[in-house]
Amino acid sequence: MRLLNKTSRSYIFFSLIVFIISGLIFFRLLDNIFDHQLDKTLNEEKLIIEQSINYSDSVPDFRSVFGHMIDITILDTPHKKSEWIHDTVIYDSLKGEFASLRHLFVENTSVKKQGYIINIYKPLRESENLIAEIVIAISLLFISLLFLLILVNYFISRRVWIPFYRTLNTLRQYEIHQGKPLRLTPSDIHEFEMLNNTLERMSEKIRQDYLNLKEFNENAAHELQTPLAIIKSKLELLIQNEELGEHQLQLISSAFEATSRMTKLNQGLLLMSKIDNNQFFQTERINLIPLIEKTLTHFSEIIEIRKISVTTDFTGPVFLIMNATLVEILITNLISNAVRHNVPSGSIHIKLDQEILTISNSGNPPGSDPQQLFERFRKSDHHSDSVGLGLSIVQKISQLYHMRVEYTYDNFIHSLKIYF
Amino acid sequence: MKFLLIEDEKELARSITEYLAKENYLCESVESYKEAVEKINLYKYDCIIVDITLPDGSGLNIIRELKNINPETGIIIISAKNSLDDKITGLEIGADDYLTKPFHLPELNARLKSVIRRRNFGGKNEIIFNEIIILPDQMEVAVQGHPIILTKKEYDLLIFFLSNKERVVTKEAIAEHLWGDEMDMADSFDFIYTHIKNLRKKIMEKGGNDYILTIYGIGYKFSSKI
Repeated sequence: MRLLNKTSRSYIFFSLIVFIISGLIFFRLLDNIFDHQLDKTLNEEKLIIEQSINYSDSVPDFRSVFGHMIDITILDTPHKKSEWIHDTVIYDSLKGEFASLRHLFVENTSVKKQGYIINIYKPLRESENLIAEIVIAISLLFISLLFLLILVNYFISRRVWIPFYRTLNTLRQYEIHQGKPLRLTPSDIHEFEMLNNTLERMSEKIRQDYLNLKEFNENAAHELQTPLAIIKSKLELLIQNEELGEHQLQLISSAFEATSRMTKLNQGLLLMSKIDNNQFFQTERINLIPLIEKTLTHFSEIIEIRKISVTTDFTGPVFLIMNATLVEILITNLISNAVRHNVPSGSIHIKLDQEILTISNSGNPPGSDPQQLFERFRKSDHHSDSVGLGLSIVQKISQLYHMRVEYTYDNFIHSLKIYF
Repeated sequence: MKFLLIEDEKELARSITEYLAKENYLCESVESYKEAVEKINLYKYDCIIVDITLPDGSGLNIIRELKNINPETGIIIISAKNSLDDKITGLEIGADDYLTKPFHLPELNARLKSVIRRRNFGGKNEIIFNEIIILPDQMEVAVQGHPIILTKKEYDLLIFFLSNKERVVTKEAIAEHLWGDEMDMADSFDFIYTHIKNLRKKIMEKGGNDYILTIYGIGYKFSSKI
């Protein structure tokens, strides 16, 4: 739910509650005032009638005087005193409807020792009409006020949140590996300025950590080159010794293998940090089909020995704007991967169109979670001679050119798809 | 033959000079840009091997200077940086070859010999090993005077062996020489075996000797002492 909707909803909800409560109170108040007014009139009329009963010889027709229903009964004997006022409903046979009335009842003994009963009825319709009108007016006022409130809220929100959305947008487009610090547009709203400052500080910290890590990776890989070169050269000198026995040679051979693996690993890491450092910035238009064919030729010996059948499906020339070295590494790694994780007498199918490059190969079911395949040093156990960087490099190169890599496995066929 | 090795890493320099010394080459070694410039101004070398990242200057400048003094000297760059730009620049300003560290000593030796062969304009360009004669310019091989047909890989392998004759050459070095570093090591060892088998067969068919010795677990040795 958007913030604006959320606040508007709360506004409406609470305003409604306040309106209902205040409306009820207001209604009661108004009702009381009208009743009070009515009772005052009724009492005045009663006094006039009583005066007339006490001091006149005859009681006039008060109905015509006050214009509403008055019923006076004079009794010969004295009467006990009682008086009350209440609301009542009477069926008006003339109009054929029920009418709400205020009814004053009084019974007493006059100075002439005569008892009398007075009933005065005053219609409530006028006051009821008035209350209804007032309620409608106030409701209208409330609705228009609420509407205005929402409208104002909407426009203010839109204006006020502009810096926030600007910050959000900048954050969305920010990529840490581009190496630039995060710069947010300053805002005159304190809260957003605080947010911006915090974000900038945080991203700067992350960026520094990232740079340090990158530098470390690069330096570590780079510095390892020389010791590796020395070990390799010393071992090569050592094996020239003709007095070495089979056992010694075996030991040296193992050391050699380990050094070779380390060299490969190091080269992979160096390559990755070079990609990170954007050292392959020169791009050119590359025709993929000849490149794939060349790479297949490169692997032809192993393909032949393992009796792997290779099929290709090229719909037409596909050109990519990429760095020549990187695209070569990409294709080599993909094909090498398909060959390496294949089974004897297996198959490789390469499909290329304008959008997707698919390399499928037969192979045993994946041992681990497919999503982890792209992680560094992830490898299947059967090929401990591989260093497990191939697919990480594929992914890194793909990321650099905003291409998506997808791995699927279905019924002994592994497929890697690159979406250009 | 006289070489100058310009390499600031002492141990690596020692390995290289030791390996090359067995070829009866005279190999001098310096560790800095300054010393290197002095040397090339004083003496004439057949080939220099230069590390382009030196503590006190760029090896590329040594190449530029050498090109002015002795343009016929062969130049091989060795670099810890596998940088295409450096490689292109180096080759543009006149280097003959470029090797990335860590490299195999037999590989450096083979490249060195190839550079010298190419630079040896006056003399007759041929490699002779007992009954085997190779004409590198024509890529032709003859055994006992009979030409033999080798595949590209078998030819490369033979040249590599002859460049490092009487030396133990590891399977790794051969694999890298033949396929570069993209090939998976374990896979390529099988192919090396196949290629060597074929090469041996082709030489022996024409009456040549079997010079290829298998060194258990490590590699091979091309040796006349059989």
